[in-house]
Amino acid sequence: MIRLLAMIGAATLGGFAAVGRIALFMASTLRHLVTQPFYGREFGKALFQIGFLSLPVVGLTALFTGGALALQIYSGGARFSAEAVVPQIVAIGMVRELGPVLVGLMIAARVTSSIAAEIATMKVTEQIDALVTLSTHPMKYLTVPRVLAATLVMPALVGVGDIIGIFGGYIVGTERLGFNAASYLQNTVDFLEQRDIVSSLVKGAVFGFIAALMGCYYGMTAGRGASGVGAATKGAVVAAAVLILAANLILTEAFFSI
Amino acid sequence: MITLSGLHKTFENNAVLRGVDLHIGKGQSLVVIGGSGTGKSVLIKCILGLMTPDAGQIVVDGQNITQNGHAKLLHRFGMLFQGAALFDSLPVWENVCFRMLRSGQSRADLRDVAADKLRRVGLEPDVADKFPAELSGGMQKRVGLARAIAADPEIIFFDEPTTGLDPIMAGVINDLIREITTEMGATAITITHDMSSVHAIADQVAMLHDGVVQWHGNVAALAQTDDAHVRQFITGSATGPIPTLR
Ligand SMILES: Nc1ncnc2c1ncn2[C@@H]1O[C@H](COP(=O)(O)OP(=O)(O)OP(=O)(O)O)[C@@H](O)[C@H]1O
Ligand SMILES: [Mg+2]
Repeated sequence: MIRLLAMIGAATLGGFAAVGRIALFMASTLRHLVTQPFYGREFGKALFQIGFLSLPVVGLTALFTGGALALQIYSGGARFSAEAVVPQIVAIGMVRELGPVLVGLMIAARVTSSIAAEIATMKVTEQIDALVTLSTHPMKYLTVPRVLAATLVMPALVGVGDIIGIFGGYIVGTERLGFNAASYLQNTVDFLEQRDIVSSLVKGAVFGFIAALMGCYYGMTAGRGASGVGAATKGAVVAAAVLILAANLILTEAFFSI
Repeated sequence: MITLSGLHKTFENNAVLRGVDLHIGKGQSLVVIGGSGTGKSVLIKCILGLMTPDAGQIVVDGQNITQNGHAKLLHRFGMLFQGAALFDSLPVWENVCFRMLRSGQSRADLRDVAADKLRRVGLEPDVADKFPAELSGGMQKRVGLARAIAADPEIIFFDEPTTGLDPIMAGVINDLIREITTEMGATAITITHDMSSVHAIADQVAMLHDGVVQWHGNVAALAQTDDAHVRQFITGSATGPIPTLR
């Protein structure tokens, strides 16, 4: 019994310690963000990697989800003869929730994992040490460009995801469920409020920040050898996904609680 | 130039350095020898500030940099890592000129500088545009060497510069290291297992064993010493005071 309590206590303390270390890492990232030098080339590469190269996966995810959402709302709505709300609910569902969350999770899978694996490999092969000996701060050279790029480019990705998701619903709605094309679009546009769109983009920025920060944190703190790289990658993706979902709840509460 | 006194470093329960005392004068070339795993690389990383020693002092050029203060000195240091540690996201020439690329010089000029540095370590100019993963181990090591010396540092650390090279290339690299200390007046600390390198490079030799400097002296005195540890290391004998566990 005492052993069990001790184990729970140790796990709790360990959890708090990890939260503390991540908070310190975040503070250090922000401090290095606002002090010189800034590595513009690295930032450019990160924008391309995180933003442009993520477009296909974001587009496909949103397209399929938007389509499926339309089908679900139609069949669910049919139970109380509310089939007509498909355009409105697809728009709300995509823009407020599914767009940011799915894009965030896809970025956690695609970007967080690659950042963590890359930086952990650099750690294991002494490239981080080499940076230090060449008078280059690893936080400034590796972390700041990636975190900044992800934070800035994610709202755009989420925006693209929202639009393609709505488009997926539109295709299914008009081709499969017999909605009139013009009125589907009209309903969507009329129904969405500015607050829906702002919340979507803000969520994107926060999720991008989380995804890149976790990749960098787990990469920088990786253990030795190939197993260190594997553990860092796994830890980073899990932490990013969980934190994105938690942040989503908090942000939804902040934007839409009445 | 560099003085270490009573340096200790322990990993968990593995006491690697247990009181290392060492002095290297300006423009001198010190070679550190010692069995595998005796802490030679750890010693260099402590001087560079990549690891913090648990006890002892590191004084470089009159400044005590044991705990911090490395940042101000790093631009005077060059380091070749045992595993080369090239940045694999950058082409070879950007690796070589990494430090200078941050100093505002034009990229086109620096590419030529890189080609020149590469020639000094025996690499063709066409290597400049390749990526580190496309090179052999010995070529990577030489690119690492070119990077270490590119900005003409005053104090250079070489961690096993000739391991993985053929005997001819090893000779070229030994000559290069000798040249850097004699002509450019740099201070060098080289780690090596290769006795021909020791004779080609060293003014001073220090042997690390059991966490301390077991023997320290002029390279000329190395052959005459009757220290049993050094004798066993030089002759490469399996029997002697250094256990070999078979
Ligand atoms: N970051 C680290 N964490 C834990 N232990 C370490 C670390 N770095 C080195 N060690 C340990 O310190 C000891 C000395 O390592 P070091 O790399 O300095 O050896 P070395 O003398 O350079 O050997 P070699 O000639 O094989 O390169 C080894 O036992 C190693 O396991
Ligand atoms: Mg070593």
